[in-house]
Amino acid sequence: MNNREPIHEHIDTKQRIYLHPLPVRIWHWLNALGFVLLILTGLQIRYADIISVISFETSVQLHNWIGFVIIVNWFLWFFYYMTSDKITNYLPDFNARDFIKRYFEQAQYYGYGIFVGEQRPHDVQPYDKFNPMQKLTYQFVMLITVPITFFSGLMMWDVDYFAGLIELAGGIRIVNTVHVIMFVIFVFFVFLHAYMGMLGSKWWSHYKEMFTGYEEPHD
Amino acid sequence: MTTEISRRIPALLAAAALFLAGAWIAVTPVEVLAQDAAEAPDPDARCVKCHSRGLKKKLEDGEVLSLKVDAEAFGTSVHSVIGCTGCHRDVAKGRHPSRQPIESRRSYSFEKNETCRQCHRAKYEAYDGSIHANLVRAGSDKAPLCSDCHSAHAIQRHETYDRDSGEPCSKCHTDIFTAYEESVHGTARREGNRIRADHFESPVCADCHSAHDISAVASTGYLVSTCMSCHEVAELAHEQWLPNAPMHMKSVGCSACHAPDAGLRVDLQLWDQVNQQAVGAEERYAPLRATLAEIGNEEGGISSLDLWKLIRLTKADGENIDVRLRGRLEVATGMDAHRLQDSGQATRTCENCHDGDSVAFDKVTVSITRADGRKERFEADKAVLSSVLSVDSISGFYAPGGTRIKLLDYLLVLAVLGGLAVPVVHVSLGKIIRRKMKVK
Repeated sequence: MNNREPIHEHIDTKQRIYLHPLPVRIWHWLNALGFVLLILTGLQIRYADIISVISFETSVQLHNWIGFVIIVNWFLWFFYYMTSDKITNYLPDFNARDFIKRYFEQAQYYGYGIFVGEQRPHDVQPYDKFNPMQKLTYQFVMLITVPITFFSGLMMWDVDYFAGLIELAGGIRIVNTVHVIMFVIFVFFVFLHAYMGMLGSKWWSHYKEMFTGYEEPHD
Repeated sequence: MTTEISRRIPALLAAAALFLAGAWIAVTPVEVLAQDAAEAPDPDARCVKCHSRGLKKKLEDGEVLSLKVDAEAFGTSVHSVIGCTGCHRDVAKGRHPSRQPIESRRSYSFEKNETCRQCHRAKYEAYDGSIHANLVRAGSDKAPLCSDCHSAHAIQRHETYDRDSGEPCSKCHTDIFTAYEESVHGTARREGNRIRADHFESPVCADCHSAHDISAVASTGYLVSTCMSCHEVAELAHEQWLPNAPMHMKSVGCSACHAPDAGLRVDLQLWDQVNQQAVGAEERYAPLRATLAEIGNEEGGISSLDLWKLIRLTKADGENIDVRLRGRLEVATGMDAHRLQDSGQATRTCENCHDGDSVAFDKVTVSITRADGRKERFEADKAVLSSVLSVDSISGFYAPGGTRIKLLDYLLVLAVLGGLAVPVVHVSLGKIIRRKMKVK
C-alpha cells in the first residue's frame, strides 16, 4: 500500500491504461471457466432425470475437482489482493450517502445515459476500476457468495467428516439448500456479467481488456 | 443258662440270615441280578407306561390336547438325564395334575417357560429381552415360547439342528426363509456351504439374528454391523468408488442395494436428539405419539405441512425434547431384506436414487418405536421429501437429485429467465430511447 504506483506508470505509449495485471486476468478466466463448469456439472447432478450428458458419478467427480480448483483460486485471489495495493478496488466506500448517490448515477447511466451517448459517471483507474454497482456486486460475490458456496460444497463433499459442522448448520438439507441458492445466484450472475461485459465502447471491448489487461479507448 | 440262650436268639437269627443271604448271592448268576435291577420301578418308566398310549385331555378352550409322549425321542433328548420329574415337579410331589384344569395349550406352554428359566437362566434372560418375548408380553398368541422352538420333549443339542432347513425359525418365518434360500447366502449353502474358496461358512438365520436375544431388526439397524462382522472389507471396498461411503452406509440399508429387485421405501424414524434414542413408548412422547396417530390415519398419508407441524410440536416451549426425523432408504419388506445377491449384481448405478424420477422415493413412511421394539409405520405423501418444509422437518435426509426441493427448481428457472430478460429488456429499452431521440 505504501509503494503505491503512480497512475502514469500504468499508461503506455498509446495512452492506454493498464487495468488488469496478469495474475488478475489468469484468476478471472480460470474462475469464469470454473463457474461455468460447476454450473453445468451442478445441473447434471441435480437434474439427472432431465439432462443426461454425462453420468451422475462422473459429474460428481468433476464437480468436486473443479470445486477444489475454484477454492484454491479464491485463496490466490484473496492473498493477491491482501498483499497488493490494488486492494483499493475492493475497499468499501464509507461515505454511504456519496456511495448511494454514485450508485444511482451509475444505474441511471446504464438505464438511459449509455443509449444517448452520455459520459460514463465513473472514471476507471487501476486503483479504482470498479463503478459503485460493480464494486457492490463483486464484494457480494467474492466475499459472501463464493465462500458460502465452497464451505457448503466442502461439507457435502465429505458429509461424515463435516458431520459436526453440518449439525451446527441445521442439517444436510439446509446445507444443500444454501448451496443451491448460491448456485441460482451464480447462474443469474453469469448471465448478467456476460451481458454487462458487452456494454463497453464496442461489444467486445471489455472482453478484450480482460485478455490484454489494457483498457480499450473510449469513443 | 436258658435266659442267656434266649437273650442271644436275635443275634443268632441275624447271623444265620446274613449267612444264608451270602450263600444265596454266592450261588446266584450275575445276569439274574442285573435283570432284577432293570425291572425295578423307574419313575420315568411309570410315566411312559401311561403317556406312551393315546392319552388326551380336554382343555378349557375346548381343544383336545394329546398327552402322548414319544418315549424314544425323550430317551434320546438332552433332558433324559433329568427325567420326567425334572420338569414336571408337581407330579413328583405325588399330586398328579390330571384333574387340574388347563386353560389352553398356549397358557400351559407359557407356564412351562418358567420351568425352563429355572435351569437356563442366561438363555432365558437373553430371550426375555428379545422381540419374541416382547411380543408375548404384548399379548401375541403367535410369538414363540421356549417349547415352540425347542419342542417339549424331544429337545436336542443345537449342534444337531438341521440348520440348512432353517430349523426352527423357518417353521414360522417360512416366506422369509424361502427368500433366503434364493439369496447368495442360501445358494452358497446349498452348493457346498461356501461362498468363495477362502470364505467363511455361509450364514443361516441365527448367525445374523442370534438365537435368543433377537432384536426387532427394523428398529435397531444393528444388522449393518452384523453384515460388517463377516464382510470386514465392505466399508473399504465402498470407499473405493462410492462418494460419501460412510454416509451412504448409515442412511441406506445394505439390502437396498444388494437385493436389487427389492421394493424400496424411505423410512423417517422419529429420533430424540437429546436422549439419543428412538422415540418410543415412554410417557414423555405421548403427545407426539397421539398427534402422529391422528395425522397418520388421514387419507393420502401424512402431508408436508402436518409433518412439519409434528416436528415443530417438539420444539414448543417447555418441551425438553428435540425430536428429528432420521431418514433411511431400506427395503420395503422383511422378505426383500433376505433376497441378497452377489456383490456383482448389486445396484451400482447412482441414478437409481439420484434422479428426480427415481422410484426409490415413491414410498415414504414415518415411524415411531413401539414398546415391543418394532416400528409402527404411518404412510406419508412422497411430496414430503421435496417440499420446502422438509428443510426444517427432514433436515438430516437428502439425496441430491432424488429428493430435490421443487421450490428451488422454480427459483432456478426464474434466475435463467431473469438472466435472459435483462439483455432483452435492456436492448429493447435502448432501441426505444434512441427512436425517441431521433423523433425529437
